[in-house]
Amino acid sequence: MSHQCHWTEAVDLFLPREAKIVKTAQPTELEKHFTLQMIDGEPVDFQPGQIMELGLLGYGEIPIGFASSPTNPETFDVVVRSVGRVSKAINQLEAGDTLQMRGPLGHGFDLDKLRGHDVLIVAGGIGLCPTRSLINYILDRRDEFNRFVLFYGTREPCLQLFTDDLACWRGMEDVEYFETVDQGDPSWTGNVGVITTLFPKVELGPETRAVICGPPVFYKFVVRELDGIGVPHENIFVDLERRMKCGVGKCGHCQINDKYTCVDGPVFAYSEVEDLGEAF
Amino acid sequence: MGKPKVAFFDFACCEGCQIEMTNYGAEPFLELLNHVEIVEFREAMTEKTTEPIDIAFIEGSFTRECDRARLEEIRERAAIVIAYGQCATTGGINALKNHQDDYKEYVYGTDSDMPHLDSQKAYGVDAAIKVDYYAYGCPVNKYEVLQIVLHLLHGKEPVIPNYPVCVECKRRETVCRFLEGDHCMGMVARAGCTAPCPAAGIPCEACRGFVDDPNIPALEKVLVEQAGFTPQRAHEKGRMFTANALEATS
Amino acid sequence: MSSMFIKDDDFSAFVTTMIEAGPVYGPVAKRSRFIFERLESPEELRLDYDVTILPPKKLFFPPAQDLIRFDADEFKSAIDPEEKVLLGVHFYDVKGLDQTDLLYSERNFDSSYMANRQTTTIVASNIQNVSDRAFFASVGAGVPAKGHDAFLTSITGGYVFEPLTERGEALLKHGAFVAATDAQVAEAEKVNAEALTKCKEKHEHSAEDIAAKVAAAFDNEDLWSELAEDCFSCGSCNTVCPTCYCFDVQDTWNVDAVSGQRTRYWDACLTADFAQVSLGEGATENFRGSRGERFRHRFMRKSVYLNDKLGQPACVGCGRCSAACTADIADPVRVIDRIMAS
Repeated sequence: MSHQCHWTEAVDLFLPREAKIVKTAQPTELEKHFTLQMIDGEPVDFQPGQIMELGLLGYGEIPIGFASSPTNPETFDVVVRSVGRVSKAINQLEAGDTLQMRGPLGHGFDLDKLRGHDVLIVAGGIGLCPTRSLINYILDRRDEFNRFVLFYGTREPCLQLFTDDLACWRGMEDVEYFETVDQGDPSWTGNVGVITTLFPKVELGPETRAVICGPPVFYKFVVRELDGIGVPHENIFVDLERRMKCGVGKCGHCQINDKYTCVDGPVFAYSEVEDLGEAF
Repeated sequence: MGKPKVAFFDFACCEGCQIEMTNYGAEPFLELLNHVEIVEFREAMTEKTTEPIDIAFIEGSFTRECDRARLEEIRERAAIVIAYGQCATTGGINALKNHQDDYKEYVYGTDSDMPHLDSQKAYGVDAAIKVDYYAYGCPVNKYEVLQIVLHLLHGKEPVIPNYPVCVECKRRETVCRFLEGDHCMGMVARAGCTAPCPAAGIPCEACRGFVDDPNIPALEKVLVEQAGFTPQRAHEKGRMFTANALEATS
Repeated sequence: MSSMFIKDDDFSAFVTTMIEAGPVYGPVAKRSRFIFERLESPEELRLDYDVTILPPKKLFFPPAQDLIRFDADEFKSAIDPEEKVLLGVHFYDVKGLDQTDLLYSERNFDSSYMANRQTTTIVASNIQNVSDRAFFASVGAGVPAKGHDAFLTSITGGYVFEPLTERGEALLKHGAFVAATDAQVAEAEKVNAEALTKCKEKHEHSAEDIAAKVAAAFDNEDLWSELAEDCFSCGSCNTVCPTCYCFDVQDTWNVDAVSGQRTRYWDACLTADFAQVSLGEGATENFRGSRGERFRHRFMRKSVYLNDKLGQPACVGCGRCSAACTADIADPVRVIDRIMAS
C-alpha cells in the first residue's frame, strides 16, 4: 500500500474531546449561547471562521462555527440554533453539563489578507455567529486593521443575536455599525429593508476587504453591491454552510462541486467558488 | 420521575402490529419494560386506562366517522401520538376499498346491511387527529419501533428513512428481483424494514408506503418494460399499501 | 519477488490451510450472482465469478460501521480490525480499493477504514468470466492496479501466484508452491491480457475528452433532467460502486437506554435528502434538490472532479451500477456517449 501512515499511529478522526459548559444565555427563542471549556485543559487553537463538530452522545454531532475570538484561549463560544435532533438536545443543556467536540476543523479567515485594510463584514441572521469570532478578534486588535464597517440584517428585530454586543457596537466610535430588519415592529426605529439597503449609508472603496456570511439567498445580492464598489472577488470572503456529517472531508455531504466545505472551507475567497455551479 | 406510560389502541386493522410487540423474545421486551410502563395493550393484558399517557401507539385506519371522538379523546390525553403500522400511517391495505363501490357486498355478502359495517374511505389516523410520529410497515419493524421508543425516551425525534428499499437490498447484497425476471416496488418504497422480502425472493409491495417523492411514472415504465406488466396492471400495482398516496400523485 | 506455481490438485489444500490460519474471504455464489463472503471451505470459493454484487470495500468500510461506542461513564473508539486474507479480487476492484485508500488517507487519515485495510492481505485474481455490463478495459487503461499483495492467475494445470509484498509472500507457506516456469509466467500474462478483450461495452473517447465534455455540459440542465427522468433516487448506482465512499452518521442507544454507538452508514448522493439541511421552524434547504442535479453530481464526480488527484477517472469499469439500476439509466458508457453527443 502506498499511503504510509499506520493506523496504530494515527489519531482517530471521530473520537471527540469533552468540553464543559461554563455559561449559557438564551438570546432568542431558538438560539442558545454557550461558553465552553475543554475538560482536558488543552486550549483549542482556532482561527476565526473555523468550525467544530459539536456532539452529544446518543444524539449525534453538528458542524458549528466558533462564535468567540481566539484572543481568549481559555474558553470558546458557540451559538446553537434549535433546528434538528442534535441542536435541540444541546440546547437543553445548562452550565456544568458536558458535551463533546472535534476540532477546530476546516479553513477560517485568512487574517493576513484583512490586516492593514478597511474591513466590511456583512452578516445575515445566524451568520453573525461565525463572524462574531472575527468581529471580536478585530476589536481586540483594532489597531491592526483600518476602518471597520459592520452590517447586520435579520428578518425581525426579535431575531437579533448578541444584543449586548450590538448595544456595545452601536456606541463604539471605531466601528461603523449599521443594522436592518426585513420587517419592523412597533418598537423598531432603525432601518427597514433587505441587507443591501445599508450600502448607500457608507462610502466604501475598492480596496475594502469584505466578509459575507448569511442565508443561502444572501450572497449574490451582497456581491452585486460589492461589484458596484469595485471590490475584486479575491478580496471578498464568503463563509458557506452545507449539510455536514464528518467534518473531515470524507462523508461527501458538504460538497460544492469538487470542493469539500468542511476542509476546503467553510471560508472561501469568492473568486475560488464563484464559478462553481453548486455554490450559490 | 416515574417511567413513561405507554398505551396501545386499535381502529380498523388486524392488530398484527400489536402482536409484533410480543415477538421480541423475552429479553429485549423485559429490558424495555425497565424503561416504560405499558398501561393499556389489549393483545397482552386486560387492564385499561383513562389516565394521561406519555406515548400512545394507535393502530388501524380512520374509516368510520364515529371513531373520531375516540381518536380525539386519545389525542387529548396523550403527550405523543404515534401512528402505528401502515393502516394508521397511510390507510394501508384498508384504503384499497377507496377505489371500489361494491366492497361491502363483496366482503360481507348478505350481512353487508348491518349498520356497524358502515364506513367511509379509509385514511391514516392523521386524517382525524394530529400525529407526532409514524411507525410504518405491514407489520411494523419491531426493531425500528424499539429505536423509536429509545429515541423518545431521550427526547430525540426518531430517525425514519426517506430512501427506498433498494438501498437496504444492496447493503445486504440481495439479488435484485428484476435480475431474476421478477417485479418489485423497492425503488419507490420507503425503507426501514431492512428489506426481508426481496432477500427471501419475494417482491417488495411497498408495505411502508412510498418515499416522500416517488417517481411513479418511472415505476410504471419499469413494470411494463422489464416485468412485462400491462400498463393497467402497472398503474394499479402501487395501490396495495399506498392507495391514498397514488391518489395524491395521479 | 519471483512468480510461483501451484497445481490444481494442491490448490484446495492451500485454501484450507489459510482458512485454518485465520479468516479468509473470497467470492462465493449467492442465488444467480456472487458475493464476497468469509470462506468456510475451499469448495465455496468461486474464482470463476464474473462480478460480485458489492465490491470488496464492504470488508473495509462495512455498510454500517461503528465509529465510537459509549456507556454512562465513557466513550471510546470502535476501531477493532480483523487480520484477514481476501482472496480473488479482480483488478478493477483492486483499483477501486486503491482509489479509496488514497481518498481515505489524504488530508485526514481515516483509521476506521485504514485499520481494516492495513490488516488485510489481498490476493488479486484473473478475470475468468466477464460480466455483461463491464467496460474495465476502456477506463483508466494506462493506470495499473496496485495496493494488492499478490496476484493469482489460473493457467493450464494450476495457478501462477505472483507475490508483490511481504504479506503476499507470507502466504506461500500455506501451499505446495514451486517456482513458476517462464512458460507458465508467459501463459499467465496472456490470460490476463485476453480478459481485457472480452468486455462487451467500452468508452469510445479518452478520459481527458470525456472530462472536458462532461464539465462543459454542467450548465445543460435539459440534458441532465432528460438523463435523470426515470431516476428513482434509490442510490443503487452509488451503493454498489467500488469508488463511492460517502456516509451518513447516526447515534443509537442500546435497549438498556444508556449505552449506545455512533455509527456511519453508506450514504448515496443520488438519494433525495443527501444534501438537505434543516433551517429551523420546519424549513429546509436542499442544495441538490432535483434528480438532474443529483445525477449530474455523480457523473461530475466519476469523470471530472477527481481525475487530477487519482490520475484516472473515479470509475473502474466494473459495470455494477449499470446492472443495479432498475431503470437502466446509470450505465456510464451509455450516459457518457449521450453527453458526448450533446
